[in-house]
Amino acid sequence: MHLKNGVIRLLNQIKKEFRLLWTDKFNIFIALIVPPLVVVLIGVTATGSGNLADPIDCVVVSYDSNTFIEENNFTESNLDDYNLKYVEAVNSSNLLNLVQFFNATEDIYAMETARGYMISKRITIIIAIPVDFSELISWGYPGLIDCITDSSDVQKIQVSLNAVYDSIKIFVSQNNLTPQFELNGFEEFSIPENYSSGYNNMMVLVLSFMIIGVGMVSTILIIVQEKPVARLLLTPVKRIEILLAKYITYISILIVQNVSLVMTALSFGLYLVGTVFDLFLALFILGFAGLSIGIFISTLSKTKTQANQLFFATFLLLILLSGIFIPIEAMPIYLQAIAYVLPLSHGSPLITGIITKGKSVFGFDFFSLLGVSVVLVVLSFILFQRRKYEV
Amino acid sequence: METTDNSNNTMVKVENLDVIFGKKHIVHDVSFNVEEGEVIGMFGISGAGKTTIIRVLTCQIEKKNWNGNVLVTGLSPSKKGNHSKILSNIGYVPQLELLNLYFELNPMVNVEIFTSTYGMDKKEAKLTAEKLFNILDIPKDTWKKRVKKMSGGEKKRLSMAIGLIHHPQVLFLDEPTTGVDASKRYDILSYLKKLNQQLNTTMFIITHDLEAALICDKTAILREGKLLEFDTPQNLINSLPSNGLVARISIEYLNQEIIKTIHKYPSIEKVLRVGNETIEVLMEDFEDNLPKLMKFLFENNLKVYSMSRDVANFRRYFQIRIQEEEEKENPKNNSELMNGSDSQ
Repeated sequence: MHLKNGVIRLLNQIKKEFRLLWTDKFNIFIALIVPPLVVVLIGVTATGSGNLADPIDCVVVSYDSNTFIEENNFTESNLDDYNLKYVEAVNSSNLLNLVQFFNATEDIYAMETARGYMISKRITIIIAIPVDFSELISWGYPGLIDCITDSSDVQKIQVSLNAVYDSIKIFVSQNNLTPQFELNGFEEFSIPENYSSGYNNMMVLVLSFMIIGVGMVSTILIIVQEKPVARLLLTPVKRIEILLAKYITYISILIVQNVSLVMTALSFGLYLVGTVFDLFLALFILGFAGLSIGIFISTLSKTKTQANQLFFATFLLLILLSGIFIPIEAMPIYLQAIAYVLPLSHGSPLITGIITKGKSVFGFDFFSLLGVSVVLVVLSFILFQRRKYEV
Repeated sequence: METTDNSNNTMVKVENLDVIFGKKHIVHDVSFNVEEGEVIGMFGISGAGKTTIIRVLTCQIEKKNWNGNVLVTGLSPSKKGNHSKILSNIGYVPQLELLNLYFELNPMVNVEIFTSTYGMDKKEAKLTAEKLFNILDIPKDTWKKRVKKMSGGEKKRLSMAIGLIHHPQVLFLDEPTTGVDASKRYDILSYLKKLNQQLNTTMFIITHDLEAALICDKTAILREGKLLEFDTPQNLINSLPSNGLVARISIEYLNQEIIKTIHKYPSIEKVLRVGNETIEVLMEDFEDNLPKLMKFLFENNLKVYSMSRDVANFRRYFQIRIQEEEEKENPKNNSELMNGSDSQ
């Protein structure tokens, strides 16, 4: 009977929470509309930096001489100029736009001029063909092309490398070559060419930041601003029921939020090697960590101002120690310990693992997030139980 | 300790209540009973211990901080297991609406939120709410509007309705007239009386608004945690000299010396300064002594503007009683206290 009454009261408290939430349209906007809206915004803008966008402006600087030195016979002879054939391949690529070709064997300032182009933003890539490029290919050695990208725009590095790689593929195909080309910058588990790497890279950061941030923002005031709780506590309702109702309500919101986020992210071409379920669960645990921090802050604060200040300080700490700006491994050992406790440091590895490597969600990051969240939930219940309410 | 005793329809029983927080002794040996259907007013200036007592009765203070035999609707708040039952049996109307109503929701939803905690049927709750809203004259067009759009008086009445929605055996009201316009205070009090008469709800009001005594069957006066009096307002007034008959006299250039002179008149019991040039005088054998007092004043060359006779009200009784206590504690300052001004 007690349990039945308790369940009924809990359900009524959940109903109350939804009603209160409904009156706070701004909070609904933040929780449900803003996250997919941000993804849409990134989807629309980031596809502009992907492989399907305009060709990337480049110059080719060739240090390869137009003469050929035969192997074991160091006499000059006229030979195929593979450097010019590579330039043709660059011209054939839809991903590159050759602004100018420099023959550095004749123009000693070629590289200086090319760098000048890059400074003035006329080009994004300088493709440098090294000395003896043609010779090495003729002898069947791996070809080597240096690719200098404008790294002031981080988003374009991967796209630039992809474009150069495309030109190499054309070069190999057009000349029936089977050399292995070495191109610095390519990594395993990179985003395939038919996906927007800019969008995908941003999504990893944005999803983890946003889901934790929104979870915190939408919950930091839910306890501190609900004054009539004092009066509610003079009815048979229990404190545990009030707080549990808040958790259940905001977890429900989180689920809806995650579904819309995953759908929106996928519809804009999110590259996903893992399963949708894993991605959903990863976002859920991140969001749960966010709302656990938010509710914990709310139970800890006496006033709205305190809650807002605590939120700001906490979020700043989360960002600083997330490993996004400074690698966690580079931090002092005590900061590393703190960083691994904070949820945001697990966000990027967790999502990247699922998106690009197809890892299962259940791993160190997931259980770390779960552990931190459970500790915060328990602490929030203890704090709420001890919270002083006076009517 | 007895935990269930509802004999003789005693709704609240307090025996030898002491409340101590650390080294602070807040309530000293307070005892009183509240019977079914009564309206009890507990009066006292700030710090008298009114709120502390109501907090004990409404299970807000842990047992480790209080001693004594307390029963609310026959159940002792000393046992945590009784709290839920006591809270189901009582209603509470807090002082500030800002802190006890959901302003963004409409009155009906507010009612639903609070009734749901008692496990009340939704339909029954709605019918009861409508009945209470009608008794309390909460306009029908506000029932579906947000509470924040209601006037201060309407919010106060809504708060009362919520306190009564689950048919509590005792309704506790904390300063029900605080924050209400002077003109509306009497409305609030008359609504409370109306509710008491129509629903036979026992009411326990704590307030420093002495006008609330108008609707009280019994009044308690607290000072510094001690219960000075607990009786009907009329009995308390009748306990004054000459059953509370007072002479109100206005005297030119009234000052402390003049008051001392008046106090020399043999039958004078109390001289209260109630205005810049006005005093109220209580004395034994009022009818015989009043003409003699007037003669005494003239003989002492005091220029009397006006004189009227009246019966002391509860406000005056309260003032006298508190003054007596202060005099007991500080006999040296007798005359100064006697001259204490009053705001009417």
